[in-house]
Amino acid sequence: MTILATEGLTKRFPRVTALDQLTVAAGTGVTGLVGANGAGKSTLIKILLGLLPASAGRASVLGMDSAVQGLEIRRIVGYMPEHECLPPDVSATEFVVHMAQMSGLPRTAARERAADTLRHVGLHEERYRPIGGYSTGMKQRVKLAQALVHDPKVVFLDEPTNGLDPQGRDEMLALIRRIGSEFGISVLVTSHLLGELERICDHVIVIDGGRLLRSSAIGELTQVTQAVSVEVEEGWELLAGHLTEAGEAVAVEGRLITVQVRADETFDVLRDALCDLDLNLVRLEQRHGRIEDVFK
Amino acid sequence: MTQPTGVIHDIGYRHYDGVRLSRGYAATALALHSLRGAFGLGRPARSKIIPFLVAATMLLPAVVSIAVMALLKQQPLPYTGLAVTMQAVLAVFLAAQSPYLVAPDLRFRVLPLYLSRPVTVLDYVGAKFVALTVALFLLMAVPLTLIYIGELLVELETPVHHGDYLAAMGGSLIFAVLLASIGLALASFTPRRGLGVASVIAFYMFTLAASAVFFGVLLSEGLDNAAKWSILINPFFLVDAVQVNLFGTDPSNGEGYPPGFGPAAIALAVIALALSALFLRYRKAAAS
Repeated sequence: MTILATEGLTKRFPRVTALDQLTVAAGTGVTGLVGANGAGKSTLIKILLGLLPASAGRASVLGMDSAVQGLEIRRIVGYMPEHECLPPDVSATEFVVHMAQMSGLPRTAARERAADTLRHVGLHEERYRPIGGYSTGMKQRVKLAQALVHDPKVVFLDEPTNGLDPQGRDEMLALIRRIGSEFGISVLVTSHLLGELERICDHVIVIDGGRLLRSSAIGELTQVTQAVSVEVEEGWELLAGHLTEAGEAVAVEGRLITVQVRADETFDVLRDALCDLDLNLVRLEQRHGRIEDVFK
Repeated sequence: MTQPTGVIHDIGYRHYDGVRLSRGYAATALALHSLRGAFGLGRPARSKIIPFLVAATMLLPAVVSIAVMALLKQQPLPYTGLAVTMQAVLAVFLAAQSPYLVAPDLRFRVLPLYLSRPVTVLDYVGAKFVALTVALFLLMAVPLTLIYIGELLVELETPVHHGDYLAAMGGSLIFAVLLASIGLALASFTPRRGLGVASVIAFYMFTLAASAVFFGVLLSEGLDNAAKWSILINPFFLVDAVQVNLFGTDPSNGEGYPPGFGPAAIALAVIALALSALFLRYRKAAAS
């Protein structure tokens, strides 16, 4: 099922072309929209929501034309903007209830849904306090909650990990993954950091300067290569030497040793080498291709 | 060791399959939310001070009127003069509360969240306008109605002024519409609440002073007709003039107003201008 599609979509502003002949499609699940700042990600979302007219081309969400059916689209789509968008003097509960009503939910249903949604995004007792006193992480959760409160079919999340610390980032990404799988809501999530999207997306669209660079399933982007990475606390030179002697193909990048896997015996050789040298193993993992490679 | 008595089940995510109401419902909910906000309801105690003080002050003439009617058996204040008499109080309310309705959504960029829902710019602006109009109307209609009830209960020698009461209620609606449109239009041009308050009160002071100066100068020059027109610079006298010409009530400025449809046309033009400015302001804000 196609969640969103564009065809030759172009958006020109007086000074800059934000989108240039963009033709993409995305299905259910989590779709990542990757691009540097100013690549046209936010502009694309606004056009899809029917808030901004396109200069040329067409865009559609769930089979509805963004240019003429904006209201119908916005009824069943959730949107989390990149910028701050919360009033400081109301509580998260009040705000999310109000936003649910703005999506057409009756008051009692709005209350129930707001409580449910805030619990799902991980806001508990603090949801009764005014938003002005929240941390960045909590504000991001409220922003996410207001995008989900009306149980949309699709959510557009614009840079949801912006400004979060590493732990908050991980939690937000895990939450987005859950929205896509457990909640059954399709997600379009933008980021300028490629690494974080590859952990949660089923499909990745890469745009640069308003043009499509690549659109493919995550599996194609990060195919498992026949190599393992090894990191040890000390003595990586010893290990590299030992493995080379044993006839393995070894590449060293900083402290990380990459070993090409010839056959299953390679794993045995590696294990024995680590034991013989009595090294402290930090990490041992299969090497994946990375989406960064798209830009190389 | 105690046994657990209850178990919390994680029921997971539940989908919503209830009704999704129309745009009209959302706009009504927004108007109601804004109306409550205009009186500081659902907001910290600090925000309630000014609207409550204003509301209490507006009730003062009603209390005095009823007391005078009960004790002295005469009516001290005509219905149709309430708004002009209390214009400073209404102006304070307008200046203090119209920025509250529009400024925070611009300043904290909540507007994009409204517009990402089935709510259009027109719905949003309309809801805010209706909310402030109703708030202003209530400020005038509640004391008027109290005085009216008082007049019905106290047996005066003069007949009950049904006509004046109805005319004053109609006039109050015109007052509310005109003041709300001017207040919102002025307040919406700055996302800062303080600046909004200052600009609305400055506008009122300016019209108050300008109408008084022109009126005095023109009258002393013997240009009575021009003087009567110049007093309409003050929006309160403008609406009073409309009320006088429309319902045949007594003028509250002592001198009378230009007759005919002139004042009404000016009032309509001011309302149209203010509402267009408000709409254009928000269309621009929505696009950015």
